[in-house]
Amino acid sequence: MGSLVLVVRLVLADVRRHRAQAAMLLLAVTIATATLALGLSLSGASRTLYEQTRAATAGPDVVALSGDTSPAVTSALSELAEAPEVAGHHGPYRIVYADLTTRGSVTSPVVVHGFAEKPGALNRPLVTSGQWVRSGGAVLERGFATALGVGVGDQVTIAGRPYPVVGIAVTAATSIYPWAAQIGPGGGPSDYTGLAWMTRQDARTLASSQDRPVTTAVDLKLRDPAATEAFREAHRDSDVRINFHSWQLNAEQDTVILRGTQPILVLGSWLLSFLAVTGVAALAAGRAVQQTRRAGLLKAVGATPGLIGAVLLTEYLAVALLADVLGLVIARLTVPVVASPTASRIGDIGGPSGPVIAATTLLAVAVAVLSALRPTLRALRTATVTALADTAHRPRRRPWLAALSALLPTPFLLGLRLTARRPGRAALQACSTATTLIALTGLLSLSAQPSRGYGLNGSSALPNLRDENAGHLLIAVSALLIALAVVNTITFTWTTAMEARTSMAIARALGATPGQVSAGLSIAQLLPCLPGTVIGVPLGIGVFSAFSARNAVLAPFSTMFIAALATLLVTVALTALPARLAARRSVAQALSAEAA
Amino acid sequence: MNESSAVVRVRGLVKEHGQGESRVRAVDEVDLEVPEGQMLAVMGPSGCGKSTLLHLLGGLERPTRGEVWLAGQRIDTLGERALARMRRRSVGFVFQAFHLVEELSAAENVELPALLAGRSLREARRRAGVLLERVGLAGRARHLPSELSGGQRQRVAIARALANQPLVVLADEPTGNLDSAATLDVLRIFEELRSAGQTLVIVTHDERVAATSDRLVSMRDGMFVDDTRLAGSHPRGLGGLIGLEG
Repeated sequence: MGSLVLVVRLVLADVRRHRAQAAMLLLAVTIATATLALGLSLSGASRTLYEQTRAATAGPDVVALSGDTSPAVTSALSELAEAPEVAGHHGPYRIVYADLTTRGSVTSPVVVHGFAEKPGALNRPLVTSGQWVRSGGAVLERGFATALGVGVGDQVTIAGRPYPVVGIAVTAATSIYPWAAQIGPGGGPSDYTGLAWMTRQDARTLASSQDRPVTTAVDLKLRDPAATEAFREAHRDSDVRINFHSWQLNAEQDTVILRGTQPILVLGSWLLSFLAVTGVAALAAGRAVQQTRRAGLLKAVGATPGLIGAVLLTEYLAVALLADVLGLVIARLTVPVVASPTASRIGDIGGPSGPVIAATTLLAVAVAVLSALRPTLRALRTATVTALADTAHRPRRRPWLAALSALLPTPFLLGLRLTARRPGRAALQACSTATTLIALTGLLSLSAQPSRGYGLNGSSALPNLRDENAGHLLIAVSALLIALAVVNTITFTWTTAMEARTSMAIARALGATPGQVSAGLSIAQLLPCLPGTVIGVPLGIGVFSAFSARNAVLAPFSTMFIAALATLLVTVALTALPARLAARRSVAQALSAEAA
Repeated sequence: MNESSAVVRVRGLVKEHGQGESRVRAVDEVDLEVPEGQMLAVMGPSGCGKSTLLHLLGGLERPTRGEVWLAGQRIDTLGERALARMRRRSVGFVFQAFHLVEELSAAENVELPALLAGRSLREARRRAGVLLERVGLAGRARHLPSELSGGQRQRVAIARALANQPLVVLADEPTGNLDSAATLDVLRIFEELRSAGQTLVIVTHDERVAATSDRLVSMRDGMFVDDTRLAGSHPRGLGGLIGLEG
């Protein structure tokens, strides 16, 4: 118990003394775990929403549709309703293909379902505002109405005839907007289409007045809701062509709108985690000497290696686990927005599932351990007396680099030698830059994609929600990646400056100007960025190509080149301030501190 | 003394550290002139302000008040950039803790000031070779500081201080970390430098070092309390001075 109290006390004291580092770890892990939790929750969330909507609207197990216009269609569909596997049915009813125009002149394809004014036991669309269909009025599916910006009381024009919108409703009988038309006219392919309901009479009038294409459908409730495939197989040899849409197919189709989203989030979370590790590891390495001395002190007063290890690791683990909780809470709050961009579904997604919590916790622990393990092991392995007198570890000699740098102007000489002092950190900096370029390349390439809108004939008057959703998330993830990369660059510069303060003070004592030292520190950060940029662009192209459609196009190479150049310039700008501050520290103090 | 011949001159020099009640006056109204070719030793107990004075003379710290002149140029009013150029051109530092760059060889450490001054690598190498020979380390040019003894490291530091042929060498406790034999080596080098007309200001609390100088200034509580002209080289020789000869 006493040891536990001691560990907690020491950890709290250290966190209080190094708030910036704790804050950075908290921020980085929170971002990474929130993104991962969001990415992993999406498919489950989509399914959950579908199931809740299905339960609330008495969604059918199978919808049988036929685009044929022969008189045999109705009897064939009625025969299906009489099949022994069927426990209940709704219909047959008419589905009319038309165009819908709003007052704002936005036009979209629409399928109009002709329904009874009093809903039956099966396929009872849930009215979320207004009322159910009545003669002369139309009810719009909620996702469609939201995309159109139309509410109850507005007027829409369907196939040239004006209708007031009397209600907004949701259904599980079709997939979400814009995939309401399960089949196109004549059983052919369908375009992005919204859904509206009218009375049966109004739908009949609509179809006949302008000779609109019509599909006939019947909703079926099976005795075994899971046996939809068996039902389809048993009834495929009908005289008329019938398409079967099961509830499983609708649920699967719902996830299509997230198909571009999930890879962005999951891949983004791994990249964010990587940046978190690099940034926090750089900070931890910067404190390694201090940690070793602290460990020496604890050893000197009788602490066991286990206790010391616990003190050094617990701080990182505690902060990372707190960040994990925060990340899960953020994911919980944002999942409804991300998972249901169309408003076609209702319900509560609930908290993250067990596997999601396990995955994010594993990620948080991995970031903490990877960041802190090396300095902790070093502290544990160092003999007590050595640890108490520990100084920054001596960099390896690289004669060829010393000779090469001697040929260069002073800032490059200092910069190259600083880079060579910590090759591991230079590699991390290169990877951090590469990660930024991967995000930028993806972002630029995504913005270069041709996007087919959901309006009539692909008009962008109604935006493509799938692309828009993916685009927004890519921007958000890229912004987070770039933000972490920015923090990392500043951290790397400051840590490098602090570790090299004696060398830089010697250089200043020997006549290097503050400007030369400052430029040297900036160059030390810039040099690893060059290979990072060179690697990052092709990696970004590879990642984008792997997770996008086959016909996806890449951003122009000139744009990528500009992005790479901009990254380097921003790096120089970001390093300028910490480098300048470090270069202006007192030479006498730095040298005296080292001598002490 | 003719003021124009003074390489180093300070007037009313004050340096205070800290603020409010914790303010400490490390250097208190000091006046000093060091003529060209003089070897000046500054002695005093720890914390008396010797090192601070040396830092002020070399432009590593700025005085709270007073003037610092180096070779006729007032330096306490210079900007950091100009101070750096002045150090590069006119001052060579030797520190108690050597302050060599650990990942560079002895020769590369000595080359460094010349490279910082913009000299070519070839010229810097040539000069480093000459200086390492002068301090008796030509055979150790490619060794890292960690492969050298304390005395050898300090000799490398002295060679580095001489790389740009400075007007004055400022040495802060140059023998503070050395054993007697190494101290003898360093004092021999200083003796040679003095003979060659090099101006030297050495801060020390070791009387044996002070005894080899032309002039001894004693400091206490930031002030000069004594200023003595000495004969220079000890009549018994350096070895006798530090007890290595009978």
